[in-house]
Amino acid sequence: MSEQIREQVSAFLDGELPSSETELLLKRLTRDPELRQSFGRYALIGESLRGVGGASLTASFAARVNRTIDGEAAVPVSPAAGSRPLRWWKPIASMAVAAGVAGVALVALQQRAVAPGVAAIPRMVIQNARLDTGAKEPLSYTVPAPAAAPAMMASARLTNYVFAHSKYSVGLGQGNLLSTLLSADADGPQVGGAAAAEAASGNVPGAGTPGAAPRVAPAVSRATQTAP
Amino acid sequence: MRRGSRPRAHWLIPYAAAGVLSLGFAQRSGAADDARAWLEKMNQALATRNYDGTFFHLTEGRVETMRIVHRVKAGRVTERLQSLDGSGREFVRNNDELTCFLPDQHTVLVEPRQDRGPFLGSLPRFGADVDEFYVIQALPASRVLGRPARVIAVNPKDQFRFGYRLWLDENTAMPLKTQLCDAHGQVIEQILFARLEMPETIADADLAPAVRTEGMRWVRQGPTSEPAAAALSAYRASELPPGFHLTVSGAQTLGGASVPAEHLVYSDGLATVSVFVEPDAAAQANAAAAPSAPEPPMEGLARVGSGFAFSTVVQGHQVTAVGEVPAQTVEFIAHSVKSFPSSPH
Repeated sequence: MSEQIREQVSAFLDGELPSSETELLLKRLTRDPELRQSFGRYALIGESLRGVGGASLTASFAARVNRTIDGEAAVPVSPAAGSRPLRWWKPIASMAVAAGVAGVALVALQQRAVAPGVAAIPRMVIQNARLDTGAKEPLSYTVPAPAAAPAMMASARLTNYVFAHSKYSVGLGQGNLLSTLLSADADGPQVGGAAAAEAASGNVPGAGTPGAAPRVAPAVSRATQTAP
Repeated sequence: MRRGSRPRAHWLIPYAAAGVLSLGFAQRSGAADDARAWLEKMNQALATRNYDGTFFHLTEGRVETMRIVHRVKAGRVTERLQSLDGSGREFVRNNDELTCFLPDQHTVLVEPRQDRGPFLGSLPRFGADVDEFYVIQALPASRVLGRPARVIAVNPKDQFRFGYRLWLDENTAMPLKTQLCDAHGQVIEQILFARLEMPETIADADLAPAVRTEGMRWVRQGPTSEPAAAALSAYRASELPPGFHLTVSGAQTLGGASVPAEHLVYSDGLATVSVFVEPDAAAQANAAAAPSAPEPPMEGLARVGSGFAFSTVVQGHQVTAVGEVPAQTVEFIAHSVKSFPSSPH
C-alpha cells in the first residue's frame, strides 16, 4: 500500500476523507483485491488499536501495524487474523460447482423445505414460554485446555444448517449473513479435503495453534455445568 | 454552638452524596433511554427511508464491497443488494419475494420471504429480557463519512453472546458503521459505508439487477403442501446459557435426507441459535451432495460467518448448534441436547 493510499484509508476510517476522494478510494478498492485485503486488515487492526475512543497510536506501534498490513509480520493484535477460519459460506458455491446446477437447485429446494414460506408456517410450533426442564442455571465453568483440531465438518451438511438458521437470525446479523452469502468465492471450490486441511492446520478457533492464543475463549466444559 | 453545628453539616454529607449519586444515575438511565430512542430511529430509517449506498463488509481481514438500494414507494418496499467484487451476485426483494441472482452459478432463485425486515437488518425492540443480558450505552459522539455520528453500544453482560456498536448518522439515524463485538470489545465483523445517499426518489433502473439472465436456470419456490411432519421435537436442550429460551421448534427435511431433521431455535431476545437434530443416517444423506466418500458423524467446532457451529452425537443422532454467538454458547447448547418423551400433538 503506498503512503498516499494509506493516508487515504486512514482518513477514511477516521471519517474524515472528503467524499470525492472516498469515491476514488472506493473505485480503487473494488478494482484491486490485494488492496482490499490490506484495507480489511487495516480497518480491523486499526479498530482494535484505536478502540472506540479514537486514541492515537504511538509511532512504533503504528509502524508495526503498517508492516503487518503489508504482510511483513505476523498480526500482533488479533491472533485469529493470521489464520483464516474455516469458512462455511464457501461451500455454498463449492457445493454447486461439485454437483452442477442441480446442486444449487438442491440447496434451493432444501431451503424450501426449511423455510416454506407463509403457507407452511402453522407447521412450526411457536413457543413463547421458556422450556421448563427443571435444570438449574449452571453455577461454575472451567476452561479446558485446547483440544486437538476438531474433526472435519461436512461442508454440504453445514451449509444446509446455515441456510436453515439464517431464516431465524434476527437483528443486524441478518444483514451480515446476506452480505456473506453474496460475497465472491475468490479462492475457488473448497470442499472436503481442502476444508479438512484447513481445519487440521489449526485454523479453527480452539484448535490450539502453537503460539497463537485462541481469539475466542475456549469452550465451556460440560463436566462442571451440572455442579450444584 | 459551633461545635454543635459541625456534626449537623456532616450528617448532610450522605444525603448530598445520595443526591449526587441519584442524579448521576438519572443521567445514566437518561442516556440509555436516549440510546434506545436512537436505535428505534435507526430501525425506522432502515425500514421506511429511501437510500442508496455502498458499504464494506469486513470479517477477519476479508473485505466485500456491496451496494444497497432501498426504496419505499406507495407502501411497496423494493430492495437490491449487489456484490461489487466480481461474483456479480445480487439479491432483489420486492415486498415479500426475494430473488437471488447467482450468475456464477447460472441460476436465479426466487423464494417467498415472510419476514419483511430490511436487508441491512435491524435490532429487535429491547424488552426487559434483553436488558437482563445486555447494557445499552451512548458513547461519545464521533464522525463517519465526514458526518457527525451518535455512537451506541449494546454490550453483552457475559461471554455467551456478542454485542454491537453502532455509529448512527446524527441527521438520518442511518447506521453508517456497525460492528459485531465479543464480550471483550474485540471487533468480529464490521459494516462500513463509503457512500450513502438518501434521495427523495429512486428510479426503477437503480433497482433492476445488472445481471443478464438469458440462459440462466430459474428456480422458483412456491408455498409447499408437504404433509405435516410427524414425531415433532423429541429433543430439547436440557440446559441453556442464561437468558436463552426456546422460541421455535419444527421439523424440516434437509438436503435430500429421508427423515426430517428437528430444528429448534433458541434466543435471548437478540442472539439466535439453531439446533438441528438428525438421525445419523439422515445426516449422511444430507451430506450426499458432497463429492467425498460417506462422511463420519460430525464432531467439534467450526467457524460460520461471524458465529460458530458445534456438532456432537447424542444417542445416535447428529446434533449441531449454529448461531452468531461465541463458540462456548453453541458448544454448551449442543452438549445439553437430550431426548425427552414426545408429547402428544
